[in-house]
Amino acid sequence: MSVDYRTFLREYDGKPIRIMEVCGTHTRAIAHEGIRGLLSPKISLLSGPGCPVCVTVTQYIDTLITISKVPGTTVVTFGDMIRVPGSTQSLSEARADGAKVEMVYAPYDMIRLAKEHPSEKYVFAAVGFETTAAVYADLLGEIIASEITQITFLTSLKIMPPVLEFVCKTNSVIDGFLAPGHVAVITGSDVFTPLAEKYHLPFAVSGFSGEEILLAIYALVKMITRQEARVMNVYPSVVTPRGNISAQSEVDRYFEKTDAAWRGMGIIAESGLTFRGEYKRYDAGSFGLYEDVGTHLSCQCGLVITGKKSPEDCPLFGRLCVPERPQGACMVSSEGSCCSHYMNRGD
Amino acid sequence: MCVALPGKVIETDGKHAVVDFQGNQVRVRAGLVAIKPGDSVLVHAGCILQVLPSDEAEYMNKLFAELDLL
Amino acid sequence: MRITMAHGSGGQATSELIESIFAKHFANPVLSRMDDSGIVPGAGSLAITTDSFVVTPLCFAGGNIGALCVCGTVNDLLMSGAVPKYITCGFILEEGLEISLLEEIVISLADTAREAGVLIVAGDTKVVGGSGGLYINTTGVGFVPDHYPAVSGALCKEGDVILLSGTLGDHHAAILSARMGMTNPIRSDSAPLVQMVKNLMESGIRVHAMRDVTRGGLATILREFAAASDVSLRISEKLVPVDTTVRAFCDLLGLDPLYMGNEGKMIAVVDKEDAQDALRMMRGSTYGENTAIIGTVIKCESHHVFAETKTGGTRILSALHGEGLPRIC
Repeated sequence: MSVDYRTFLREYDGKPIRIMEVCGTHTRAIAHEGIRGLLSPKISLLSGPGCPVCVTVTQYIDTLITISKVPGTTVVTFGDMIRVPGSTQSLSEARADGAKVEMVYAPYDMIRLAKEHPSEKYVFAAVGFETTAAVYADLLGEIIASEITQITFLTSLKIMPPVLEFVCKTNSVIDGFLAPGHVAVITGSDVFTPLAEKYHLPFAVSGFSGEEILLAIYALVKMITRQEARVMNVYPSVVTPRGNISAQSEVDRYFEKTDAAWRGMGIIAESGLTFRGEYKRYDAGSFGLYEDVGTHLSCQCGLVITGKKSPEDCPLFGRLCVPERPQGACMVSSEGSCCSHYMNRGD
Repeated sequence: MCVALPGKVIETDGKHAVVDFQGNQVRVRAGLVAIKPGDSVLVHAGCILQVLPSDEAEYMNKLFAELDLL
Repeated sequence: MRITMAHGSGGQATSELIESIFAKHFANPVLSRMDDSGIVPGAGSLAITTDSFVVTPLCFAGGNIGALCVCGTVNDLLMSGAVPKYITCGFILEEGLEISLLEEIVISLADTAREAGVLIVAGDTKVVGGSGGLYINTTGVGFVPDHYPAVSGALCKEGDVILLSGTLGDHHAAILSARMGMTNPIRSDSAPLVQMVKNLMESGIRVHAMRDVTRGGLATILREFAAASDVSLRISEKLVPVDTTVRAFCDLLGLDPLYMGNEGKMIAVVDKEDAQDALRMMRGSTYGENTAIIGTVIKCESHHVFAETKTGGTRILSALHGEGLPRIC
């Protein structure tokens, strides 16, 4: 590449630009690689609603905890979910009280657990965006083929376009989006085109290494200064315009779009995925989990998630709210905006 | 929420595969994409999402050319 | 044959266990007297440390709890500038433990003690109910030679150079791999760093601080040094050696090698004039072939530890929060 994009980004001196990323893995990578320090002070990176653990409402956690206390039932989860506070406690605290909670690396490990303990019921905390929804769809196919009946799912599955639209409608200071590269592997990069056109904002689909993120930010700054509102795929070795069609149809086979509650944003229409039709028998009570009770009156997670405030603007950040004692989900997950900020800026 | 890593398929039976990540061999699901031994693949939460091109350089060159035009 | 409660009673079964396993493999003139205490010669600045070993599984790629307990104890003494001389071993055996496994661990312990040049001079054995587990408590004793430079985490000076003796995260990754049944060639790096420290301390190199990189990882130690010495530190992640398979293992589980434990790696903070000599010395020592200079001590208002990332940015290394849960997404 003939352009020295690093120098360009460091020395950019045009209009102030605000770019939002909407993927927890991007949030973490940006903090971990010290990307902000490589950009001109006129380029700001905001963190949006891209951490699925962070946008999960308290009623979901409370329901999981209730399930974990039922005799003969074990809740299975990924690591981060275990520390998210519900309205009164987290799964990890419930486990210390005797509730049965297991952690796995991959949803696929559930099959092994079920076969090893045929009389135990397992409920999987199925949280995630389109990338992980595809994994759950694949797992469900295997569960059905193996005739396993003791696994059900409590889902908090969400999709990106509706929440991106919500952000576009409610936050007018964003100039462009860093689009999630692995979501796009499944959905295809074209999924962002309607938003780009409707709100006249550019999207750059980005990979996850520091270098790939810098390239994508460069593309965005260029598109913004040229007032180009389109989707550019800056992760072409992995992302295609239409995505993985067979994965999409697998997801479609088992799930349908429903309204979903997002922490700090309320209910967004058709922004979630729940089991459809005959597959509802695999659901553990996911529909209608809308209640969100903040653990602390001053918790600003909702505003942080929509990029209206930065973590430092929250009065609890770094004082009452630290990774050991998270007041809200943004501090619990290592992909949460507050946790990422805290961990890489010193304490 | 999208940690996905590249690895190499060692063996597969169509529904599952053993993927090597720089010496770590992990059994993963292979139901979402057609793969064969030797393929480079992207794996997320124990499931293969995509086959990666054997020659990434070609894609990067095209990308750089496109970025140069901006 | 398995350990039963009778082995802990102090009677015949206990004597037989001690004779056939511990006395047999730990034999030395002090221990063989079978007195209530080991009486040993020694005078000067005494260094004492204690440690307990509760790792599971008991055996893992590259070692077992027996070798580990010697390395951990000996390395603690070495990092204070002492020459390790004696250790004690208190064993807590759970009923059901296979005696052949116990013997394998004891042999490994004895071999590692021999390599480290320490004598086992006192011991104890207790048996508790359980399901075949084993725990070891040690006390290590050494002496600080008068001619060794004083070393402490509080003695780092602006301009000092930081050296790391090899790849990070191996032990932690080996243990996790064993627990999760992950197939890979990762081995624990548990090793007694006697020769490396002796070479450094006897060479005239101005060593200001040393620490072995255990629980909490490199980042934790660097933060402790920064606070104790009232300085800041700056390292470059590109210079920190990490084995490729360990790095991929960490990526798979969302772990950071800078926060993972080793059992045979150390850092040395030395005067900048002696940096190249220290590098040569450590690289030429057993277990030090991958030694690298990874950073420097700087003066700064804060006690931050700055890390230059592989993308060229800077992050500040915070404390390790939680137990380092594997993250997936």
